[in-house]
Amino acid sequence: MAHVARPKVPLWRALLPVELALGMWVTLKHQFRPHVTQEYPKERPELRPRFRGVPRLRDHPDVEGQLCVACNMCAAACPDRCITVEAKPRTTGKGKEAKLFLIDYEKCCLCGLCVDPCPTKPITAIYMSHDFELAKYRRYEFMTDMPVLYEGHERNEYDR
Amino acid sequence: MFGPSEMEINLGPQHPSTHGVLRLKLKLDGERIVHTDPVIGYLHRGCEKLGEDRTYPQAMVYTDRMDYVAAFCENLVYVETVEKLLGVDVPARAQYMRVVLAELQRIASHLLWLATHALDIGAMSVFLYCFREREQILDLFEAFCGARLTLSAARIGGMYQEFPEGWAAEVHRFCDVFPSRLEEYHQLLTSNRIWLERTQGVGVIDGPTALDYGVTGPCLRGSGVDYDVRKAMPYAAYRELEFDVPLGRQGDTYDRYLVRMEEMRQSRRLALQALQRMPDGPIMAKVPKRIRPPKGEAYHVNEGPRGELGVYLISDGTETAYRCRFRSPCFTNLQALPEMARGHLVADIIALIGTLDVVLGCVDR
Amino acid sequence: MSESVVRYVVVPFAQIFVILNVLMLGVAYLVLLERKVIAFMQVRLGPRRVGPHGLLQPIADILKLLLKEDITPARADRLLFLLAPVILLVPAMIAFAVIPFSGEPFTVLGVEVTPWITDLNVGVLYLLAISSLGVYGIVMAGWSSNSKYPLLGSLRSAAQMVSYEVPLALSVVSVLMLAGSASMVEIVRAQAEQGVWFAFWWPYPQLVGLFLFFVAAVAETNRAPFDLPEAETELVAGFHTEYSGMKFAFFFLAEYMNMILAAAVVSILFLGGWLPVTFGFLPREPLSVFLGGATLTGSFWFFSKVLAVLFVYLWIRATFPRYRYDQLMRLGWKWFIPLGLLHVALTAVAVLVRQG
Repeated sequence: MAHVARPKVPLWRALLPVELALGMWVTLKHQFRPHVTQEYPKERPELRPRFRGVPRLRDHPDVEGQLCVACNMCAAACPDRCITVEAKPRTTGKGKEAKLFLIDYEKCCLCGLCVDPCPTKPITAIYMSHDFELAKYRRYEFMTDMPVLYEGHERNEYDR
Repeated sequence: MFGPSEMEINLGPQHPSTHGVLRLKLKLDGERIVHTDPVIGYLHRGCEKLGEDRTYPQAMVYTDRMDYVAAFCENLVYVETVEKLLGVDVPARAQYMRVVLAELQRIASHLLWLATHALDIGAMSVFLYCFREREQILDLFEAFCGARLTLSAARIGGMYQEFPEGWAAEVHRFCDVFPSRLEEYHQLLTSNRIWLERTQGVGVIDGPTALDYGVTGPCLRGSGVDYDVRKAMPYAAYRELEFDVPLGRQGDTYDRYLVRMEEMRQSRRLALQALQRMPDGPIMAKVPKRIRPPKGEAYHVNEGPRGELGVYLISDGTETAYRCRFRSPCFTNLQALPEMARGHLVADIIALIGTLDVVLGCVDR
Repeated sequence: MSESVVRYVVVPFAQIFVILNVLMLGVAYLVLLERKVIAFMQVRLGPRRVGPHGLLQPIADILKLLLKEDITPARADRLLFLLAPVILLVPAMIAFAVIPFSGEPFTVLGVEVTPWITDLNVGVLYLLAISSLGVYGIVMAGWSSNSKYPLLGSLRSAAQMVSYEVPLALSVVSVLMLAGSASMVEIVRAQAEQGVWFAFWWPYPQLVGLFLFFVAAVAETNRAPFDLPEAETELVAGFHTEYSGMKFAFFFLAEYMNMILAAAVVSILFLGGWLPVTFGFLPREPLSVFLGGATLTGSFWFFSKVLAVLFVYLWIRATFPRYRYDQLMRLGWKWFIPLGLLHVALTAVAVLVRQG
């Protein structure tokens, strides 16, 4: 534990606006440094690999048919209960696959808890994509079903 | 009730300086504040009740959103409380990882505090400079867990993924630049006569009174009371790390400012130490897939950037908690606001809300 | 057309027309300059989208304010509510009548035109008087809004402006002692004759006077760090709360026009007006020949100095926190007035020393 020191100012420094000038020097230096603004949407942000966008589905080339086995673990793990899965017997091989996979993007809080319990490791069927631009005109458009979960939703192009 | 020259005005929930939706009813005598009545609840989302309906891993996302500025510290205290209930030993490597992330989160939170406090008092540029640093820390968090603000970075039993490639080097790069930036903030504010006039002698609260009110964190340490949970009841890997706890003397706004600035420096030191001393090994303990703690209760505290964060869990043996109670530091710190504000001018209230570092998500839950 | 009509009617009207247009455009672009300069100091870019580098932003802002709904509070005093912005803006404009933009008259279409609208021999006094009229506008704005916060804010602003008039006047008095005349043109000519700007005058450089005048001007124009009455993050929202649309625009125009006026007066009184920047050793003649003609060069130097002073205004706004109202008043009355008096006394002694 150490007590913080309140600066002791000699009289001449208190009378003359020395520290004000020092402060002004700091802002002046910044005048000539490069800016840190990212001009979105012209400049798109560079996302890190682990960035958590909306959850989406994917397949794997080594696995025949759908990668998802409709085990419902992601739906159970979701705090917002936004995933709905309906299973059906697999068309290729044994086990189940998803007949209906619906994620309600309006409820999804992008927490990523659905990815942890997915059994198809290391490439999980459900993954957090890099999509974050999700504006829609109607609320029902947020209910995303399998085709859109695979391909990604329509992106609005920003033209300026 | 009201004296002849007293009036009551409302610093409404919508105001640029109230750091969220805080409503203050100020009773004034002319220009001087006689009494302050904080009215809270505008951001209440029922996190504690929701915690009773969600399983233990699911309830962690609510902790992110309560004190959204210091999300990892909230995550950590919750996760550690569940681990206490389960009786699980977290591996050492995960403990050190948690320290690194918690200290980076502390720096980010203090940077936001400084930015908004300085902006409220009028120094606009400090706001932008602090956010430039905070962006770097948020980028680090994004690289680790994928989110910048609502992290959910800890898991019950340890950490769920390693630091990515090059993450430690990036932390070092940030820590190399950070002291010079702190120096810039000092040059802009610490000896600045306008800043001194606005913050010295404003909002004085002495140690015993602060303890009576239950104030914790930098507000308490600014009044000279040496209480830091990281030293008093060490958790994660803090027992093995060396750091100093800055204390103030007079308990005014300026002391709390100096304490937090010094804490930023100490956090940097802690983060570097933890990175350096991190042992190898597993990062996740053996935890069952469905977490069903035995019947019992546990309370665990943490040093958040704002004060003592606490979680009290009562388990009834099922997957969801019976009672999930969050002890929020901002809620108890806000109690001290009427004491601090008495006798000051209306223009000082803004400085006082800033110095208490109130985050309404934490107050209202 | 008779010569006197041309000289006394046509030429002044033409001058006023030109100066007011340039001023209005200047004020609009000063707003943009402020946003850009402050943004660069804060490591960000300012307005960028409207026009290249945001150059059409002031046009967009003016259009927006023109097209906004003009709301008058229900029980406000309608006439005063309408007049207040006007009374704030007009003195700022008419004060420019005595500001000289350059040193020498020039001929246009065979008529001799001076680069100042008029050269009153009490120009300085005229300026101080006219700029004090702005206080009426502020008080009227607060009163006519019929609402307690604007009233409080306007009374504070008015009290602040009135109390900082004294240090302003005291620093001007010392310049008058050095120049021997109250005419703006004469003051610059005196600096030319004595070969040095009054800010660096020997044996007593008027730096203290410059500092005092500048700080008092910042307080007069309600700018940071003395902008508590109108800052957004404070409780009392200021005298222009109830205004919207073009009336609100007038308040902002008035504030920035006062800034330009203050910068112009600083450059004339302390920094040599239209005199070139010679650092005391560079010769004047080749410079003016190089830049072509005394009038143009004079106005070039004058505008550069005004821009430099405006830059300092913006720089200070970006850097410092703001004073609380009571601290502001204490500073004005307890520190700046004694400092001003001391400064006047020292200047008087220095003038005597220089003469004798």
